[in-house]
Amino acid sequence: METRDFLLEIGSEELPSAPLDAARAQLPKLVSAGLDEAGLAHGEIRVISSPRRLAALVADVAVRTEAQTQRFRGPKLAQAYGADGAPTRAAEGFARSKGVPVEELRVVESKGEKHVAVTVETPAKEATSLLGAIAETVIAQLSWPRSMRWGRTSERYCRPVRWILCLFGGEVIDASFAGIRSGRATWGHRVLAPGRHDVADPSEYLAVLESAYVLDHDARAERIRGQIAALEASQNLVVEAPASTFAEVVNLCEWPTVLAGRFDERFLAVPREIICEAMLSHQRCFPAFDAEGNLSRTFVMVSNGDPAKSEVIAQGNERVVRARLDDAAFFFEEDLKVSMEDWLEDLAQVTFQEKLGTLRQKVSRMEELAAACCRLAGEDDATVEEARRAAHLAKADLVSQAVVEFTSQQGVMGGHYARAAGESEDVALAVAEHYRPRFAGDDLPSGVVGSAVAVADKLDTICGMFAIDEPPTGSKDPFAQRRGAIGVIRLLERMPSVPLRALIDASLDLYRAQGLDFDQADVRRAVADFFIGRLQVMAREEGAQPDVVAAIAHTGVIDPAEFLSRVRALEAARAEREELMDDLAQAYLRATHLADPSLGLDVEREDLEEPELALLTATESAEAEVSAALAEGRFPDALAALAALRAPIDRFFEDVLVMDEDPALRTRRLVLLNRFAHPFEPVADFAALAKAPGA
Amino acid sequence: MARAQAPTFQEMIFALQRYWAAEGCAVMQPVDTEVGAGTFHTATTLRSLGPEPWAACYAQPCRRPTDGRYGENPNRLQHYYQFQVLMKPSPRNAQELYLGSLAEIGLDATAHDVRFVEDDWESPTLGAWGLGWEVWIDGMEVTQFTYFQQVGGIECSPVPVEITYGLERLAMYAQDVDSCFDVVWCRDPEGRELTYGDVFHENEREFSTYNFEVADVESLRAHFDDYERECRACLDRGLPLVGYDCALKCSHAFNLLDARGALSQTERMNYILRVRTVAKAACVAWMAASDETKAEVA
Repeated sequence: METRDFLLEIGSEELPSAPLDAARAQLPKLVSAGLDEAGLAHGEIRVISSPRRLAALVADVAVRTEAQTQRFRGPKLAQAYGADGAPTRAAEGFARSKGVPVEELRVVESKGEKHVAVTVETPAKEATSLLGAIAETVIAQLSWPRSMRWGRTSERYCRPVRWILCLFGGEVIDASFAGIRSGRATWGHRVLAPGRHDVADPSEYLAVLESAYVLDHDARAERIRGQIAALEASQNLVVEAPASTFAEVVNLCEWPTVLAGRFDERFLAVPREIICEAMLSHQRCFPAFDAEGNLSRTFVMVSNGDPAKSEVIAQGNERVVRARLDDAAFFFEEDLKVSMEDWLEDLAQVTFQEKLGTLRQKVSRMEELAAACCRLAGEDDATVEEARRAAHLAKADLVSQAVVEFTSQQGVMGGHYARAAGESEDVALAVAEHYRPRFAGDDLPSGVVGSAVAVADKLDTICGMFAIDEPPTGSKDPFAQRRGAIGVIRLLERMPSVPLRALIDASLDLYRAQGLDFDQADVRRAVADFFIGRLQVMAREEGAQPDVVAAIAHTGVIDPAEFLSRVRALEAARAEREELMDDLAQAYLRATHLADPSLGLDVEREDLEEPELALLTATESAEAEVSAALAEGRFPDALAALAALRAPIDRFFEDVLVMDEDPALRTRRLVLLNRFAHPFEPVADFAALAKAPGA
Repeated sequence: MARAQAPTFQEMIFALQRYWAAEGCAVMQPVDTEVGAGTFHTATTLRSLGPEPWAACYAQPCRRPTDGRYGENPNRLQHYYQFQVLMKPSPRNAQELYLGSLAEIGLDATAHDVRFVEDDWESPTLGAWGLGWEVWIDGMEVTQFTYFQQVGGIECSPVPVEITYGLERLAMYAQDVDSCFDVVWCRDPEGRELTYGDVFHENEREFSTYNFEVADVESLRAHFDDYERECRACLDRGLPLVGYDCALKCSHAFNLLDARGALSQTERMNYILRVRTVAKAACVAWMAASDETKAEVA
């Protein structure tokens, strides 16, 4: 089959970085779907992009679709024509559905029966007659987080479309969108090669782009990385280029040149977090560190300008960075003149949540909760007081000038101010780290004081929002309660002696003391259920089976360390002894189906015969072992104790008729089953583990 | 010392006016009431609406009371200038026109690194939003470039493009000075310079003091209420332009209250909502009035 390459370039005004990256992923799917639907065979689809263009280069597109001959069998002959020989409605409907006049129906014989039939010839279609419509559909179907209109057009795109390049081999394919007609021209770099550059054939596209000072996404990323590496080597520096900023920088240029700038030594006295933040998020410049990990005065920028003008461009950037750092330094120095207690007073003017009061009130609650958490963790009085102190200071920096300007450095700046004010290192560190974990995989606070404050902060928000009946919903979680709950879970995993239910109660008591009115029992249950839900999600994300997670969740355990270690132990037990565990679960299910809890647990040992006696003996010893093992957190041992019940229960079910005609016998055996199920209950819901029969 | 060949502040305004006038913009004068941005001028807000083509440019003094620094910060002012261009419908070559204008004010785009960096614009008080960029020259944000999608809660059709130059920043960069107060405003025939500081330094000191320390909160609240009422009265009488003027007064009273730190978060949100409500009502009334005029003509 004869093929040619197909090229579609959508030229636009500068596309924002994140939507551009999302569109790069969509484009090949849309192009491929369009070609497939039209029946055009094709090879590999390559995406090329820059801020001003999004292009698909498709190799080896068939020049025409394949001609098709299709035969369709219709109604039986007897039903196709009336007595008068005229076609019936059935025949007409069949012909219409195949797009042929009814006269074209022929008679065929199949399995001894005569039918009407038709042969439909679909001629080959030229790719040139199909590609224009495909291109137009692709442009219209690209989806953007926010799209716009421009000029007098009603079509929408991420930014105004300015040109369309559409070529099939050397031939321009006619396509139009928002009043723009396709051609063979692309547009070069705004400064280095302004204006139109014609592309004779798709195979020349990348070369034309490069001659017009435009590099594709990956080539730009590679060039920037290479130039940064060269700079690192020559100046003995390590450049910090976080992935998100790097991705943005790559999408902000067509012909990148990495340049180095310097800032004044005096800025090294300012906390490096706000210096780096100012450079990264405000200027898309990368900070650099020396071999010892100290912030260096050199920073790295990526220019899209004429490399011959790099000196002017670097100087300009240095000026802007200087002004930014001046601001940062000014805020920091001004902040140091203020006492943190003054900020705490200001927090009384800042609303935390309308119904839950001010941030100052939140701080008071956090103090008590952090102290409680520390105490429950078994810390001494001095540490408890440090937690209270750190919670007291944790939110003060929210009204500092530096944090108002560099919001993401909340906490971190508070840590600097606390240290400067002479607070202990533990308190300062706790203030700095109490927002952790801020995202999946983030570090936890390094000490117990910070952990206690972090738990207090997050749990206070969760309990408060539940108390005013604003739990997170599928679409709304403005106070990040889900992330907060995951944080609490990860923190408490490291503090296994802290009972989560006790903390929830303590938190709700504090809201009640503040005068908030709610049904404490209902809210306590709702918060606990919320945590159980989060725990289940986390356990499943760790790879645990849903039935194992459910089996543990049904026990009502919400202490994270215990919950997760139980899940892991049950997973392991089942992996090691699958058949035994399945059998045990089936036996448990059968026992609980038959059992009648109203009959109680007490059995008269003297009445029993074998194998009833063996089951009771085994059950009694399992009960003792389970309760000892659970008390000591030896969950695998609890499972082992239950596993020992397999043989006695199997024998019991084999040899004994539970539903005996003699009511006394029946009752005794049912009570025995109640008793058998009893040690399972605190361990896991084995009914959830029982596979459906035949599964 | 400022670069001698660079245009003075006033020359930049002249140059931009000439440039955009040649592109078909009517050169307007600033709106004569306090506004936080050139966008609030009727030549932008109201003229963004409706089907008629419109193109205008003007320098607009802007007041942002919270940005005052008593004249002590070289980059922050509570009173500053924007040069505003509005073209409806947005022309195909809007970006190229803009880049061309930079050369007229001493910043040849080919000698610098000019970038269009995503910055979606939203004005909660005007009920307006649009998509576009902030324009960077060598890393410095100097211009806001926006395709309006909605103004006063009303869809813009056709779509206007708004180009807002930050004149002080551009002048600082073109003249290579580190403080906006050192920007040369003009030179007399003998070469004697008048600086931006000569013109406005004292103004910054006094107004910062007023905005942060003196402005009377109770009167400001009363002003807000009065103008809000006045706005409704004017709209009821079919006077949308006057109503809109009152909405601007409300907006400024709110900005002063904000600078005085007199508003809790909730109150602040409520005030913003109240400004938006009157501003939107004025826009809707203006649209209705212009539809009626057309109906009468027809």
